[in-house]
Amino acid sequence: MVTPEVEPYIRQKFAENAGLTEEQLFTADATLADVIASSPRMTNSIDLMEAFARTANGLRKDYGVRVRLPALPLDTPITTVLKTFLDEFEREQKEAAV
Amino acid sequence: MSIAETDRASSPVIRRSAASDGSPAIITDLYDALTKRGMSLVDVTWEQQRLHESRRWSVVEMLAAVDLDSLTPLDRNLVWNAGRAELTTKPGADRLERQSEAEVRRWQDKNPTVASIMEACGTWSRYWNEEEAHHETVFNRLADLSGMEPISDETFIQFRQVFPDDDMLRTLVLLAISEITAAVNYGQCQHVIEDPGLRRIFKQVAADEIQHRNYFVSFAKALVDSGEYPAKDAFAVAHLFLREDGELHGSARAQLEQRGSHVNWWDQLEVGDNDFRPEALEKKEQLICGALKKITGIEVHSREEVEDTWMDLVGS
Repeated sequence: MVTPEVEPYIRQKFAENAGLTEEQLFTADATLADVIASSPRMTNSIDLMEAFARTANGLRKDYGVRVRLPALPLDTPITTVLKTFLDEFEREQKEAAV
Repeated sequence: MSIAETDRASSPVIRRSAASDGSPAIITDLYDALTKRGMSLVDVTWEQQRLHESRRWSVVEMLAAVDLDSLTPLDRNLVWNAGRAELTTKPGADRLERQSEAEVRRWQDKNPTVASIMEACGTWSRYWNEEEAHHETVFNRLADLSGMEPISDETFIQFRQVFPDDDMLRTLVLLAISEITAAVNYGQCQHVIEDPGLRRIFKQVAADEIQHRNYFVSFAKALVDSGEYPAKDAFAVAHLFLREDGELHGSARAQLEQRGSHVNWWDQLEVGDNDFRPEALEKKEQLICGALKKITGIEVHSREEVEDTWMDLVGS
């Protein structure tokens, strides 16, 4: 079970790194391509990758868990990305506990 | 205008040569050359010109040495893929020229040395474009003569789409990695090609691509040396290629981006009826790590180390 505050933490960090509000970012059908298009800080998928990396580094610093995200296609919905982040967090947390 | 200068007052006549001493070479420490050794853009362009001249070759002569009837289905497939891939280099060079020009204007007052690096890069793009024209035409002519599926005008125009602009360091590192990928692929092709004429073409083009890689690395290093461009961006591009399901896996990936904007040649390679893929992923990985060392001074040896270093450089 993922620590309950992790999901809002990821949402907030990723929104900060994208230069968007959580409401702008986490709409039901937004994809990664939409995020790049609407973010004032992003030009292409390298910026997206960096925003994920900063979020992952925050998780590592504040929760001691290192999350690695796989390469995700640009048509991936942002809600799926959030779920992937949480699944990876849980997996890494369990592995660290063993 | 004559390049000979004579001392008319004395005898015998002394003729001073306008040629430079030493073999032509890429200026690998461009930032120092501009800031410490006082090289001007005229000096830098002269070095580019004489290296370009020293490496010229003829497409017509190379083609004449190929025995068309001896080519195997695999040879023909490799030639066809190479020809299509090389179509994307002209928009790459056109974009580099245009982007360099814009960057020169952006940096001219803020940091004149960076403006000079950008100008040197934009100037060199004309040699890159010309050299890549050889690659495109040699492979496409050969594919045509050997009866491969013709490249339609629609495909030609599609492959000519210009890449969207990006940060200049990221652009240069991406181009360096693209050249590494192409050079290794062509090197792998040489091992399976039997016709000596065709093998020679692949060898020549691979050597050109390595030369281009060296230029991109030198410009990228100069930008990092200037202190205006962070090393993290070089590592970001390397990670984009080296990560699991990254760009280095090209068309072998399960899912490819459907871009309407441009064509990445490595996404478009088709194996056809052959099993051969010129991957050599470990070799590419090592060459990318070597390029990162030259550009940033940071030593890494594997894709995992590239990712770890990039994550550290990104911060939170």
